[in-house]
Amino acid sequence: MTKIAFVTAGGSKTEVPAQDGDSLMQVALEHGIEEITAECGGAMMCSTCHVYIDDAWFAKVGAAPEEELDLLGFASCEVRDNSRLSCQVKVSSELDGMVVHLPESQV
Amino acid sequence: MPQAPINDTVTIHQLIDDPYPIYRRFRQETPVVHVKAVGRTMLTKAAHTRAVKDNPGLFSSDDPGTPQTLAFRTRTMMRKDGEEHMCERMAMAPALSPKNLKQIWVPGYEVLTEKYLDALPRGEVVDLFSLLAGPISGRKVADFCGLTQVSDDDMQRWCQTLIDAAGNFGWFQDLFDKADKVNDEVDAAVAQSIVRLQGADDQSALATMINAENPIPLSQIQANLKLAISGGVNESRDSMLTTIFGLLTNPDQLEEVKRTNGWGGAFEEAVRWVAPIQVSSRRVTEDTEIGGIDIPKDEVVMTVQASSNHDEELFDEPEKFNAFRRPNPHQSFGSGPHHCFGTHLARMTVGKTMLPLIFERFPNMQLVDPDTVKWTGFGFRGPLSMPVRLQ
Ligand code: HEM
Ligand code: FES
Repeated sequence: MTKIAFVTAGGSKTEVPAQDGDSLMQVALEHGIEEITAECGGAMMCSTCHVYIDDAWFAKVGAAPEEELDLLGFASCEVRDNSRLSCQVKVSSELDGMVVHLPESQV
Repeated sequence: MPQAPINDTVTIHQLIDDPYPIYRRFRQETPVVHVKAVGRTMLTKAAHTRAVKDNPGLFSSDDPGTPQTLAFRTRTMMRKDGEEHMCERMAMAPALSPKNLKQIWVPGYEVLTEKYLDALPRGEVVDLFSLLAGPISGRKVADFCGLTQVSDDDMQRWCQTLIDAAGNFGWFQDLFDKADKVNDEVDAAVAQSIVRLQGADDQSALATMINAENPIPLSQIQANLKLAISGGVNESRDSMLTTIFGLLTNPDQLEEVKRTNGWGGAFEEAVRWVAPIQVSSRRVTEDTEIGGIDIPKDEVVMTVQASSNHDEELFDEPEKFNAFRRPNPHQSFGSGPHHCFGTHLARMTVGKTMLPLIFERFPNMQLVDPDTVKWTGFGFRGPLSMPVRLQ
């Protein structure tokens, strides 16, 4: 099964198994990653599922499309080139081992 | 599987006075329970309310039995699903883009805040409900809607009347009659504003909707504005007053919030502690099961976010105000596709603008007597007054 590692702003790392086809946001909620609030449940309305994709994986995931980038304007932490809304990133075997960094806060 | 147990002892008056002890008992004993007094099956656990709102296919917002349709004279987007809902919501969404929020609405609110704070009388007892929180919340929503000519008082009256009728499950005709008059007033104000805003370079909700390439019908434009009025004025007021109350009754927290600039966290905690909108409803589209209880097709379930926000599984000492609660996964802005449209506006204006400014202006503000502050409401909840002494 695909594995994803979430790393908090403080540096602590949690590796969890992820179902292919699920969004990163769903994976995080399922495994109690508290730094992802995901208030709108993936409806692309809240911007509280903000993550930074690790540089080594960013090319595989790709940059946020325009609509997503607009919504990221609501994010409470700095938006960087590798910012994504985790509800919009689908897990696949290609992403096995990916490292995802969590922002300090979501609201 | 078993049917939901029926509770026929709790009264609507008990729920209006203080629902929290009742919800605590429900969470412990009967988390999914049919409450006779409200004629609905209540969901009181955080996992259940969240799962329902995040699954709009199984739990539809289209509730043909809602008094809201009579109250607003039309079915609003709040009661629609899928494409239909998105189309009406997205028509208004550009008005509240991150750019507009940062360049127009927040700076505008800073100016308003200074002005309303300047006007407060000093050295005497002041009711922040009627002299600050109510009026400025009315002003904010009027300006956002593009109804700049409407007074603060009218905005507050419209909000209250629409809310009373939308939640009129007793189906009292006089509440619908009053709402009917308010609908006439809102529609007239909208017509007036349209003359001014047609083709204008203006970012208000009304201008955004009428000047779009393919505008939605006028009836839906009016409905969206009525939703913003009924969903934005009292809720902003109540969240502001609840945060002020929480901080004034916990001076040590107030000091720490000042020191760490933790106003946003205090606001989040206030809306968790007393959710301004306490319940929502969804219609079940297929026979299903929640928490081991059978829920038949077409039943309307009531998600009690007020209770979810006090769910012991997620929150330690939920009855206590703690501005430093982290994480704070409350559901006060709802979740799923109907997640509150005004969330970011409320967070930025009330949480990050008003709170620091009022405590900076009145560092020695004191509650006259916490015990005289009365809280009320079942569907919507907040304090009835907030008398403070300003120096
Ligand atoms: C602290 C302040 C506020 C709170 C606690 C709040 C709460 C909520 C909640 C719980 C819902 C979801 C209802 C449901 O799921 O059925 C909602 C929806 C909505 N809110 Fe707010 N609200 C606030 C401020 C505002 C403001 C300032 C506006 C307008 C500018 C607004 C406009 C709306 C609209 C239009 C909807 C319907 C969204 C839809 O159906 O897609 N709200 N609000
Ligand atoms: S969960 Fe709301 S935008 Fe991703």
